Amino acid sequence: MSLKIGVHGLTSCYGCQLKMASVKEIINIARNFDIKYWYMISSKGEIEHVDIAFVEGSVTTKEDERELKIIRENADILVAVGSCAIHGGVQGILFGEEYEKAFKEVYGDKKIEYEAEISHPIKNFVEVDYNLPGCPPEEDEIIYYLATFALGSYPEEKDYPVCSECRRNGYPCVLIEKNDCCLGPLTVAGCNARCLKYGISCIGCRGALEEIAWFDSLAKTFKEKNMGEEYVKSRMEIFGKQYEKMEEMLKKVFENED
Amino acid sequence: MRYVKITNEKIYDFLERLKNYGKLYAPVKISDKFYDRKEIEDVREIAFEYIRTLMPAKKYFVSPTEKMFEIDIEKGEYKETLENIEPFVIFGMHACEIVGLRILDGVYLDKYPDIYYKRKRDAGIIVGLSCLPDEYCFCNLTRTDFVDVGFDLFLHELPDGYLVRVGSPNGHKIVDENTDLFEEVDKNDIDAFRAFEEKRQEMFKWEGSFDNMRYILELTMEDEVWDEEVEKCFGCGNCTNTCPTCRCYDVQDIPDIDGKKAKRIRFWDSCQFRGHGLVAGGHNFRGTKRDRFLNRYICKNAYFYGLGTSYCVGCGNCTYFCPANIDYLKNLMKIRSMTEVKNG
Ligand code: SF4
Ligand code: SF4
Ligand code: SF4
Ligand code: SF4
Ligand code: SF4
Repeated sequence: MSLKIGVHGLTSCYGCQLKMASVKEIINIARNFDIKYWYMISSKGEIEHVDIAFVEGSVTTKEDERELKIIRENADILVAVGSCAIHGGVQGILFGEEYEKAFKEVYGDKKIEYEAEISHPIKNFVEVDYNLPGCPPEEDEIIYYLATFALGSYPEEKDYPVCSECRRNGYPCVLIEKNDCCLGPLTVAGCNARCLKYGISCIGCRGALEEIAWFDSLAKTFKEKNMGEEYVKSRMEIFGKQYEKMEEMLKKVFENED
Repeated sequence: MRYVKITNEKIYDFLERLKNYGKLYAPVKISDKFYDRKEIEDVREIAFEYIRTLMPAKKYFVSPTEKMFEIDIEKGEYKETLENIEPFVIFGMHACEIVGLRILDGVYLDKYPDIYYKRKRDAGIIVGLSCLPDEYCFCNLTRTDFVDVGFDLFLHELPDGYLVRVGSPNGHKIVDENTDLFEEVDKNDIDAFRAFEEKRQEMFKWEGSFDNMRYILELTMEDEVWDEEVEKCFGCGNCTNTCPTCRCYDVQDIPDIDGKKAKRIRFWDSCQFRGHGLVAGGHNFRGTKRDRFLNRYICKNAYFYGLGTSYCVGCGNCTYFCPANIDYLKNLMKIRSMTEVKNG
């Protein structure tokens, strides 16, 4: 019996779904899984009970929240796919007053159809069983997650930083060599250090490691390399704004003038 | 031991001929500050002046990622993936790294040899190269600054060439099959060799003994000198991944999409990662960054019975490649209250 799956998108660029739909083995996914809902592949289908629901995108409207709850109620396993779903995504950068200001700038006093909110990761509303990180996720991990579920097992999430893959591939360290603001040390591995392959420092698109992203230690080194608070913060915030401890950790480093 | 000499005029011929014995790997400059070993096409690319490589030579024996088994899930069978391994030559290993390999031998080639490691080890020819230490080197403290075994040939720099120590049957074979490249060592060469060794000893920055380091470390683990260093650490694992004697790996089974077949892979792990100490049931033996940070210091300074040295060979890689600028040796010196600097 094949597993029933659904793939859903909330507020996002739909890149994760597109990546999932364009993997080399898409035919084998279609053969081995019973796809109940996947808007990008077929406009047919309604939300019904599935074994596994994959959800990309963050919650930024009331409608997202309602839909997410229905998806959760109808899924035995729920997988958050990509940075938007897991951490609120780039759109999660706007918070509080900044959000109000930006909203006014874009919409002025116009009335809009939906009720917009600050971007939230889906874990703020429903229980998430697994995270499939990436912006978008990598092909091998998409297959790995599906394949382990199909076997009745579960995927092992990576719990170590991009540096591990940077080193295994022998890419020169741009933080040491060029004093670049590389966020590899606090970012979840899995991309095989994609950017470092081209000597471009990591911007943290796969999201920070839960509990072990040492924003403070890294900021301390950046500070010693004469990078300013604003610069460091603006880079870390792109994908890290939703980490409660980030601001506090940065404050500790930059306010402590030694 | 047999000693011969090769002159500078013949060194590139020699390197070219090494290719007859297998694929040639040697250090080349890969970026502004770093060197790494690569397969060599043009022997003139080889960087004789290198001190350390971004990836230790262990990468040729314990691959950063390698396939171990192919698994047939339906039949419930597995077989080891023993890919064909071609002979290869690693040129230019310094003494510390050769000792490092022997330490890996002690771990991987015990009563139950690791077949993947052994097959590569059997296929590899090691050609050592003398070196002058930089400020990060301290192999004199760990007593790994000179090797007597573990290489096939070892080249010591002379003003006009190299004094070659022949260290194995393979080494003899290479010399015997290329007698036109080598000549006898004369008195001038011996004097030059001695002078080089003396100069080298004088260049080391620190002196003292490391032998009781492990115990002092264990006794000072609670010490607050560690607090600040732990605070600085990213937990990025660069220190262990660039260490010639770190040998921890993780294993993962990766099934195919149709669930019929799977492969088991292994890849370099690090005790600086949280998952390293995690066991079934969710307990973590090294649950805090401090536990993980100190684990490396304890592990590297343990006593390796096989050689009577510590697991640390004093290469300085872990400091040089730490993006947080954490100085492993200085930290050890702090708890030993050793400050003497011989030549500054
Ligand atoms: S370049 Fe970035 S990812 Fe690579 S080792 Fe350095 S800090 Fe880590
Ligand atoms: S290196 Fe960093 S920014 Fe680049 S793909 Fe990986 S996680 Fe994303
Ligand atoms: S390389 Fe440095 S920062 Fe990274 S884990 Fe090792 S000691 Fe910590
Ligand atoms: S612990 Fe550091 S100095 Fe010692 S062998 Fe490893 S990398 Fe070299
Ligand atoms: S426990 Fe840590 S220090 Fe020891 S060999 Fe493993 S990675 Fe290296």
